[in-house]
Amino acid sequence: MLLQAYIINNKVMSNAQIEIQIIASIAAIACAIPGTFLVLRKMAMISDAISHSILPGIVIGFFITQDLNSPLLILLAAVTGIITVILVEYIQKTGLVKEDTAIGLVFPALFSMGVIMIAKNANDVHLDVDAVLLGELAFAPFDRLVVSNIDLGPKSLWVIGSILILSIGLLFAFFKELKVSTFDTGLAASLGFSPAILHYGLMSISSVTTVGAFDAVGAILVVALMIAPAATAYLLTNNLKRMLLYAVGFGVFSAISGYWVAHWLDASIAGSITTMLGIIFLLVYLFAPNKGIIAVLYREKQQRTEVSLLTFLLHLKNHTEERERNVNHLNEHINWQKVRSKTVLDLAFKNNMIVIKNKIVSLTDKGDAFTTKAIDYIITNKDTQIEYMKDDFFLFRG
Amino acid sequence: MDQKIAIKVDDLTVAYNYKPVLWDIDLEIPEGVLMAIVGPNGAGKSTLIKSILGILKPIAGSVSIYGKPYEKQRQLVAYVPQKGSVDWDFPTTALDVVMMGTYGSLGWIKRPGQKQKKAALEALEKVGMLPFKNRQISQLSGGQQQRIFLARALVQNASIYFMDEPFQGVDATTEIAIINILKELRKAGKTVIVVHHDLQTVPEYFDWVTFLNVKKIATGPVKDIFNDDNLTKTYGINYKVSIQE
Ligand SMILES: Nc1ncnc2c1ncn2[C@@H]1O[C@H](COP(=O)(O)OP(=O)(O)OP(=O)(O)O)[C@@H](O)[C@H]1O
Ligand SMILES: [Mg+2]
Repeated sequence: MLLQAYIINNKVMSNAQIEIQIIASIAAIACAIPGTFLVLRKMAMISDAISHSILPGIVIGFFITQDLNSPLLILLAAVTGIITVILVEYIQKTGLVKEDTAIGLVFPALFSMGVIMIAKNANDVHLDVDAVLLGELAFAPFDRLVVSNIDLGPKSLWVIGSILILSIGLLFAFFKELKVSTFDTGLAASLGFSPAILHYGLMSISSVTTVGAFDAVGAILVVALMIAPAATAYLLTNNLKRMLLYAVGFGVFSAISGYWVAHWLDASIAGSITTMLGIIFLLVYLFAPNKGIIAVLYREKQQRTEVSLLTFLLHLKNHTEERERNVNHLNEHINWQKVRSKTVLDLAFKNNMIVIKNKIVSLTDKGDAFTTKAIDYIITNKDTQIEYMKDDFFLFRG
Repeated sequence: MDQKIAIKVDDLTVAYNYKPVLWDIDLEIPEGVLMAIVGPNGAGKSTLIKSILGILKPIAGSVSIYGKPYEKQRQLVAYVPQKGSVDWDFPTTALDVVMMGTYGSLGWIKRPGQKQKKAALEALEKVGMLPFKNRQISQLSGGQQQRIFLARALVQNASIYFMDEPFQGVDATTEIAIINILKELRKAGKTVIVVHHDLQTVPEYFDWVTFLNVKKIATGPVKDIFNDDNLTKTYGINYKVSIQE
């Protein structure tokens, strides 16, 4: 008996577990798509604003329908989202305040309107700010869509799933339009792709996604899912399509790993997913191959060494007198610290650019050819060629 | 010589925040000219181009391209914006940027294919930027970026080209390369309009010129109207360019 109950219980749990992970993953994908464009348009803040200021839309929708999952609610909330954007832009256009200030003015105003409406009218209804703002993924599987006694799965899965299909459809249809208008508004306008239509289209889909996702995952996680994966992906690629794919990947990975972290630590799911998003961003920020901090520092160091090497080789080429080329005196002559001159000397030596005979350094034929070519490129201002040249000459890099 | 009028601007007034920056501009640009727009910083040169291209809405007046409003003639027009008006950190390569020039002929929804890619590669070749096709655009030098934008305009295969300061920050070699391409375009019967700051080179590069400073000061063939009188009117100071003929 006990065993049977355990199995049933466990099975129910694991169904719910799977459903939670699916909902979180789909929300992550749905958020990553508009999120990528928001990040590229430097509008990360606006998603935060939308996620809060749609509250009055939700409240009004709820008063009308008495149902937190009604499509009307989503529609009204999305309209409030657009109103937020329009208000922000309007205030900004007056030229009196900057964009972030305008956002800071609009969304608390709308948000508090929502809070007041709830406080005034919804005392006895099931609607409180916490539920709306924080959402609780753990409960999402229990609110089910049942049509004529058939259980069709969690409601929020249907809501966010439909939104995802909509935004994937729009993304495929309007990818090039979104790309060109995000990159170069002027060109988009002159080619006949109205930047205003695309802008408000993007804002609409962002609002709809926010509303659809946050019933399931909460406002904070919605913002995190929109911005963090896209910001992470941005550090890894120079290709918009890949950026979208990476953002989706990071979103889904954080959703699932976050879920299990929450499971093991018995912590909030939304909180754990947000933490995972943060950790992944941090890792990429440090270790990304090109734009990561470590790579940048390493590259700077390498460039310094290479410039030093070139200076050193030039010195050798310019000075035939032996005393200028004595190992012991190089430090004084080119004025480097010991460590640096040793690195440079080693590098030149390893690459067969120099020979040292009786403590006198001379260029080899290869070293001479390299230096001559480098001078030529520098004078004719073709610096980019030096990159290729380095690849030809260097076996060991600094 | 009876030339078709490529661009006609009537009583155009444009304002930002209710402050007019272009005042009652009338302009007729004949087909097939290589024209400079000159005027001091803030004269409204960029604004004029943007209004002709429908990027800005004028508060009065109208613009026509070969007798029809711009919206109907988009395909005929290509535009190279003033540097700095795009997001340089955008995840996109040189080739990709040039491909964007083909989007106009594709219209909404349709996606670029092999044909568009081929055209883009040819344009890159023409401006000498083929080796850089896979570079992220922020990793190009200013002059190289300018060439990419020229290639993007070329790929639009337009009849009228607008270029907002294409020589800004480019070296002499690039400047000559660009002007040669522009002269080639004119030879092919295209109309090319260039915002230009270096007054010394106007007679050498261009055959037509418009002086602009909020109002239109003068417009016509360089040999007739490019003189100290118009320069003084435009730049406000007593101007002397010694044009060696
Ligand atoms: N977005 C804007 N909002 C408000 N004023 C603007 C805006 N853009 C331009 N202006 C103003 O309009 C006037 C004309 O600007 P415009 O950019 O057309 O000048 P320009 O002739 O192209 O100058 P430059 O040689 O410096 O490029 C300037 O006084 C400028 O300050
Ligand atoms: Mg300008």
